[in-house]
Amino acid sequence: MAVPGTFLMPILLLCRLSPNLAAARSPTGVECVLFNEEYMTCTWGSREMLTANYSLYYWYENRSPVVECKHYLQDQGVSIGCHFNQSEIIQFQPFRVLVNASLGGRTLEIPSKRMELQDLVKPEAPVNLTIRNMSSNQLQLTWTSPYPKAQCLEHAVKYKSNKDTSWMEQRVKGEIFSFPSVDYEKYYTFYVRSKINSYCGSTQLWSEWSVPVVWGNNSTSKSVVEEQLHWFWIHTVLIPIASCLLLLVLVILLVRMERVWVILMPRIPNPSKNFDELFVTHNGNFQEWAGVPKDIVESFKPNYSENICYVSELPPKESYEHLWESSNHLLSLMPTALAAPCEHSPYKSTYVG
Amino acid sequence: MERMLIFCMLFFCSSMAMTAAPHKIATYKQLFKTITRLETTVKDKDVELLHTPENPVDGCLSTAVICFQKGALKLQPENSQVNSTFTQTIRVLGIPSDPISQAHCESSCESYEKKTPKEFLKSFANLIKQLIKN
Repeated sequence: MAVPGTFLMPILLLCRLSPNLAAARSPTGVECVLFNEEYMTCTWGSREMLTANYSLYYWYENRSPVVECKHYLQDQGVSIGCHFNQSEIIQFQPFRVLVNASLGGRTLEIPSKRMELQDLVKPEAPVNLTIRNMSSNQLQLTWTSPYPKAQCLEHAVKYKSNKDTSWMEQRVKGEIFSFPSVDYEKYYTFYVRSKINSYCGSTQLWSEWSVPVVWGNNSTSKSVVEEQLHWFWIHTVLIPIASCLLLLVLVILLVRMERVWVILMPRIPNPSKNFDELFVTHNGNFQEWAGVPKDIVESFKPNYSENICYVSELPPKESYEHLWESSNHLLSLMPTALAAPCEHSPYKSTYVG
Repeated sequence: MERMLIFCMLFFCSSMAMTAAPHKIATYKQLFKTITRLETTVKDKDVELLHTPENPVDGCLSTAVICFQKGALKLQPENSQVNSTFTQTIRVLGIPSDPISQAHCESSCESYEKKTPKEFLKSFANLIKQLIKN
């Protein structure tokens, strides 16, 4: 059964290779940038993502034959991009690129979309930034650009004073920026960057920010720096140390001086000890514990006995006599001592309804 | 005396050349703005398709410009409200031509593919960008 075996082997190889090739496809496409119109680089990924052998072919539509890249960009032995010389760059002609990824004899094509190279220009950062002091508190910032066609550039100026917290950014068309009202007490920093304007291309690729230029009173800036350093030492060193020392002194005072401790942490009174004598010695007898004289204690005791006197509402006359007889009967049944106080009671009352 | 005259002529011509270039660029920039304005007011549907030069080579730039100029005359406004400004804008499309480069171009206007008015104007704007850059 050799035939099925030989038939199966390529399929197995393909199944094994295709995930790797798919991983080779995972780069996000080809990205090309023209640096100052001097050279161009087209890259398709980084070493960490790429695992196959890559080759790039390019052509200009209806204009030139398909040509392979002459100068590859390498990263640890893997091609990650192609470098184009100025002579290989034609703007305003549709540019196409094809990247082939090959691994183990199998090749995969990574196509790219049609590109217009004039829309991929990234100019170099402006240089020679110069500040001039004009009349009436006005500053004028000028610069030059390494990009050859000044009519194709627009610029952005970013500036801040030492008293500001955020940067201000303004777009400028020419190579001059006027700063209207300058404060001589402040220290200013300026940056400039450039981009191809809409008259020469459609791009959002800004150049890098230029080397900054500063303006302001040197002595002012020095004193500001010194003042800042001074405040830094105060805030970061002196105040924490002083606070710690104060805390330490207070803790020592608290521990050593009981008078201070008692004022700050007064004792919660515990009355239970005061009542030990009452409950233990005198067995709960409050009067004995309080020291009340015995004759007064005796005087509070009653020397008579009082009977219970039943009081009830008298019914109407017909039943009155019946009730009176029944109550007399009851009285005769009760002990004499009890019956007698009821008759002598000052509260004896009669009610005839 | 003759040398003085020749020197003055040379001086005059060189100063003209130096001022001509920025003036040309300013004209192209104005033209570019005009074309982008037209793109919003031009009628794009149910109109005649126009021969559109696409990415002409350097030798054919002026020819391409003339082709665009001829084609622009056939553009129509989107509605009657923009008619007057549209007509004025079309008149602004006067372009300085370069007779020297015209002679070397082999493509005629009719050799270019026909496209819709908006695509025509986009290609026109692209051509002006090329002129400004060059």
